Amino acid sequence: MGLGYTPAMDQLLSLVPGATPSLPAELVRAARAGDRAAYGRLYERFAPMVHGVLLARVPRADVDDLVQDVFLQAMRRLGSLRDPEAFGGWLAAIARNRARDHWRRGAETAPLPADVTGPPHPEGDALAVLALVQRLPEAYRETLVLRLVEGMTGPEIAERTGLKPGSVRVNLHRGLQLLRDALAGNERP
Amino acid sequence: MSGDDYLWDGTGAPDPEVRELEERLRPLRRVPPPPDWSKGGTRPPRLRLAALAAAAVLALALGASLLRRPEARGGWDLRWLEGASWSESRVVREDTLAVGQWIETRAARARLSVGPRDDEIGEVQLEPKTRIGLVDPGQKRHRLSLSRGVMHATIWAPPGNFVVDTPSAVAVDMGCRYTLEVDEHGAGLLRVEAGWVGFEHRGLQSLVPAGALCATRRGVGPGTPSFETASPAFGAALEAIDFGPAGAARREALERVLAEARERDALSLWHLLTRVEGDDRARVFDRLQALVPPPAGVTRDGILRGERAMRERWWDALGLGSSEFWRMWTGAWSDTTPGPADAR
Repeated sequence: MGLGYTPAMDQLLSLVPGATPSLPAELVRAARAGDRAAYGRLYERFAPMVHGVLLARVPRADVDDLVQDVFLQAMRRLGSLRDPEAFGGWLAAIARNRARDHWRRGAETAPLPADVTGPPHPEGDALAVLALVQRLPEAYRETLVLRLVEGMTGPEIAERTGLKPGSVRVNLHRGLQLLRDALAGNERP
Repeated sequence: MSGDDYLWDGTGAPDPEVRELEERLRPLRRVPPPPDWSKGGTRPPRLRLAALAAAAVLALALGASLLRRPEARGGWDLRWLEGASWSESRVVREDTLAVGQWIETRAARARLSVGPRDDEIGEVQLEPKTRIGLVDPGQKRHRLSLSRGVMHATIWAPPGNFVVDTPSAVAVDMGCRYTLEVDEHGAGLLRVEAGWVGFEHRGLQSLVPAGALCATRRGVGPGTPSFETASPAFGAALEAIDFGPAGAARREALERVLAEARERDALSLWHLLTRVEGDDRARVFDRLQALVPPPAGVTRDGILRGERAMRERWWDALGLGSSEFWRMWTGAWSDTTPGPADAR
C-alpha cells in the first residue's frame, strides 16, 4: 500500500515549516533506524501513559501484559507513523484499540467489583475507586486515571496523548465532578 | 483557583480531595518492565496462547463468513456513540463498515477507524446527520465518500494515502487533522487544524495548510484557501470571486481582496494567480509582489504567462514550506477523478 517509512520521507518532511524536533521525535527516528535503546527510552517515557489508558478500560490484572503488547505492536508498525511528533497520539490510539480488542476477544479475567467483601486486598481500596472511575464516560476516565493514578500533570497528559490542553482541562474538571458524585453515592449509607 | 491549579498541573495549594484520591489510587501506579525488544513482534506468553486460540477460532469463523459476505473483507471498525458531546459519549454498538456500504449517523455520533483492524492509519469522527460510504479500504488508497454532514479526520500515515470524495471536490490528506463538511446542496467547507490537505476538482487544486479553510461548490470545485484569521471582508470577497457571477461584482470583489490582504494572505493571492486572467492577474501579481517579493528569476511576464515553475519558486518564498513537499503528493491526484459522493 506504500505506507512504509522511508528515510526520504523524513528528508521531505523536513521541508515543512515547524519547530525543532522534540526529544520523542528524535527517539522515534532513531528507533525506526533500528536503535532498540531509543525504543527503550520511548517506553520509559510513554509507558505510564499507555498504562493509564489501559487501566481506564480493562481489568487491572490484564493491564501489564497489554502494556507490553501495545509497545510490541507499535514497534512493528512504527514505519506507518508519518509524523514522529505525533507518536504519543498514535500510541494512545493503539492502546485504546488494544483495549477494545481485549473485550472483543473476551477478557480473561473479570473486574473486581467495587463492593467486594472478604480479606483485605492490598489494592482493594484503590480498585474500588478505580471501578467507579471506569464507569465514567471514556474521555473522563482516561484523563482522570492519567492524572490521579499515573501522577501526570494536565500539560503532560496533553503532550503524551496528543489531546488538546483545553480538552484535558475540561475532562479533568468534569470527570472529577462526576467521580465526586459517584463516590458520594457509593459511600452513602 | 489554587485547587484548580493543583488539579491541572500540581501547582498551588493542594486540593485535599484530589490529594486523597491520589493517595487512594497510588497503589495502582505500577508500570511493568519493558518486554524483550529483540523478540520483535512476539507477544507476552499469556496473551500469546490466547491469541493463538483466538486466531484459530477466527480462522474458522472467517472462512465461513467470507463465503457469506465477501464484501466484508477489509472493512473498517465502526463504533456508534450516544451522548450530548464527544467527551460525554459512550460506545453503544460496534460494527464494521464494509466496502461499498453506506451509513448515516442520524441522531448518533460514530467513530470510524481508517483502515483494516491492526493496520489503521487514522480515525474519523462522524457528527450526527452525516452520510458516508467506504469506497476503498486501502488496497490502492484509503478512500471514503462523504455525501453530507460533518467529519473530523486524524491521519498519521504518510501523505497521499487518505482520500475523501465529496460532491464538489476530492480532499487528499497530506498528513494532518482536519474537518470536512458538506451541506444538502453538495457545497463543502474544509478546515485544517494540523498539516495540509489538498482539495481538487478536475484539475483545479487548492493547497490548504493548518489554520486555513477552503470552500467548495458543486460544479465549480474548490475555492481559494484563506487563513481563518483573515478579515470577514476578505473572506466574503474571496467567496464572490470563487463562486459569484462574473463581471463588475467580481472585479469589485478582487479590489477588496487586494486592499484587505496582509502578508499572511499571500497564500490566497498565490492561488488567485491561476484563477484570474489578464489585467486581474497583473493586479494580483503587483499586490503579492508588495507583500512577498518574488525570488530572483521570477518575473512579472513569466507569472502573467502562467509559468508553473516560476509560481512554485515564488511559493517557496512565502514561508509556507517548500513546494517540493506538496509537489510530491499532487501526483496522487491524477487518479482521483471526483466521483459524485452521493450517487445514491
